[in-house]
Amino acid sequence: MKPLMKKELLLSMHPTAPLFLLLSSMLIIPNYPYYVVFFYTGLAIFFTCLSGRENNDVFYTLMLPVAQKDIVKARYAFVILLEAAQMIAAVPFAVIRQHMPLPGNQVGMDANIALFGFAFAMLGLFNFVFFSIYYRDVNEVGKAFVWSSAAVFLFITAAETCAHIVPFVRDRLDTADPQYLSEKLAVLGIGFVIGAALTWLAFRKSVRSFERLDL
Amino acid sequence: MCKHYPAFELKNVSFSLEEGKITGFIGRNGAGKTTTLKSIFNFVHPDGGDVRFFSKSFSENEFDIKQKVGFLSGGVDYYPKKKLKTLTSITKSFYREWDEKAYEEYLRMWDLNAEKTPSQLSAGMRVKYALAVALSHRAKLLILDEPTSGLDPVSRDELLDVLMELCGKGVTVLFSTHITSDLDKCADNILYIKGGHILAESDIRSFVSGYKVLKFHDALPDGALRQKLIGCRRSKNGYTALIRAEDARRINAACSDADLETIMIHIEKEGEK
Repeated sequence: MKPLMKKELLLSMHPTAPLFLLLSSMLIIPNYPYYVVFFYTGLAIFFTCLSGRENNDVFYTLMLPVAQKDIVKARYAFVILLEAAQMIAAVPFAVIRQHMPLPGNQVGMDANIALFGFAFAMLGLFNFVFFSIYYRDVNEVGKAFVWSSAAVFLFITAAETCAHIVPFVRDRLDTADPQYLSEKLAVLGIGFVIGAALTWLAFRKSVRSFERLDL
Repeated sequence: MCKHYPAFELKNVSFSLEEGKITGFIGRNGAGKTTTLKSIFNFVHPDGGDVRFFSKSFSENEFDIKQKVGFLSGGVDYYPKKKLKTLTSITKSFYREWDEKAYEEYLRMWDLNAEKTPSQLSAGMRVKYALAVALSHRAKLLILDEPTSGLDPVSRDELLDVLMELCGKGVTVLFSTHITSDLDKCADNILYIKGGHILAESDIRSFVSGYKVLKFHDALPDGALRQKLIGCRRSKNGYTALIRAEDARRINAACSDADLETIMIHIEKEGEK
C-alpha cells in the first residue's frame, strides 16, 4: 500500500487538490452557504479522477505488481486523507468565524460543530454516488461527477432550508458554539458515522465493480 | 481462454511460450491480439480459462508474476507530461528487485534523458524507456503489444536488435504486431490468430516453409489445382495464390518461397470467401 499511496500523492493527485484545502478559509466569509466549502474537496476528487483518465492512470497502475482491490483501496485512502485534511483545515477558520464580532451566518448554517457533522454526511454521500458510478466504468468520470454533484446540491439545499424553517435546526443547531453543545456533538457523531458508513459501502461496491471491469 | 463480446469472441485461445525465444503474435486488426494480451493480465476478464506464468496460476500469484513480467502496450503511454525521473521514482518503488545501476545503464545506452517527459520523446524512444523500466525490474518475460507500430524502419530495426540481444540473455518475448517483416527478422516462433482463434502455433521456419507462392500470368487454373490454392488474389501481372508445400511438391509446379506477409495476406483473403 505504501508505494500505491506514494503514487496517489505524487503522480495521481491533481495540483488543485491541496490548493482547494486553502478554500477552507471561506468559512470566515460572514454570510455564505458554508457547505459549498466542503464541496471543493469533491471537485478535487473529480479533477484527480479526470486527470487519471487522461493520463491512463488505471492502465499504468494495473501493469504494476499490485492487486486490483489495492488500487481501489489506495484511491479511497487518498480521498479520505484529502477530506480529513479539509475538515482539519476548516476548524481554525470556523473558530475565527465564531469569534468575529458579527451576527451568525444569514445565508444558512453557522460555522459551528453541527455544520461539520452535516459536512461529514455530505462527503459520505458524495463518495457513495461518485465512486459507485466511477468504478463501474472509469471512463465515465463526468457522469459520476454530474450525479454526485446533483446529490450534494440537493443535500445542501435541504440542509440550508432546514436551517431556516425547521425549529430544532434553526433554534438549536444553527447557533453559536458552545450553545446546545450536546445536540451539536450528537449531530457531529451521527454525521461522522453516516459519512463513514456511506464511504465504506461505496468502497465495497467499488471493489466488486472494479474487479469485474474490462478495460 | 474464452471471452465473448456481442460482436467478437476469443475462442479457446491456447498457447505456450518457449523460454528465451521471441514469439511473434500476428493477426490482422481486430483479430483478437490485444484482447488476448489484455486477458492474460486480467485487464479484460476471460469468461473461462486459465493463465499460467512460470508454471504458476496468474490469478493466485498475480503479485509475484508481475514482478517478473514487463507488459508494454506500444511505448510508455501514461502520464505524458511527467518527467521520466518522476515516473521512474514512483514505478521502481513497486519492484522488489529494482536494479538502479542497470536502469542508468539502459538510459545511457539508449540516450534517454530522465529530465524529459514521454511527450517529448519519439515513439521509438518511448518504447525504449518502457523497455528500460521493464528490464530494470529484471523482467524474465516481456509482452509487447505492437511496439513497432509508428516507428520508422531504422528505429524498428534498432528495437529488433535490442529484443534479439535480450533473448540472448534468456529473456522471453511475446511480440504482437501486424508488421510481419519485423518477425521475419527476429522471431523464433509464430502465433497466428484469426477471427478470435489460434490458427497456427509453430516455429517460424516450419510455418513459412509450409507454404509456397504460385504466380499465374493469364488466368487462374481450373480443376484439382484450383482446389489446392489458398487465397487467390489479383497482382500487378496476373494472379498469385498460396499452396501448401506438400501440394506444390506433388504437382511439381514452379513456385517461389513464401514469407510471413504473403502467407498472412493469402490466408486472410481465403477467409473472406
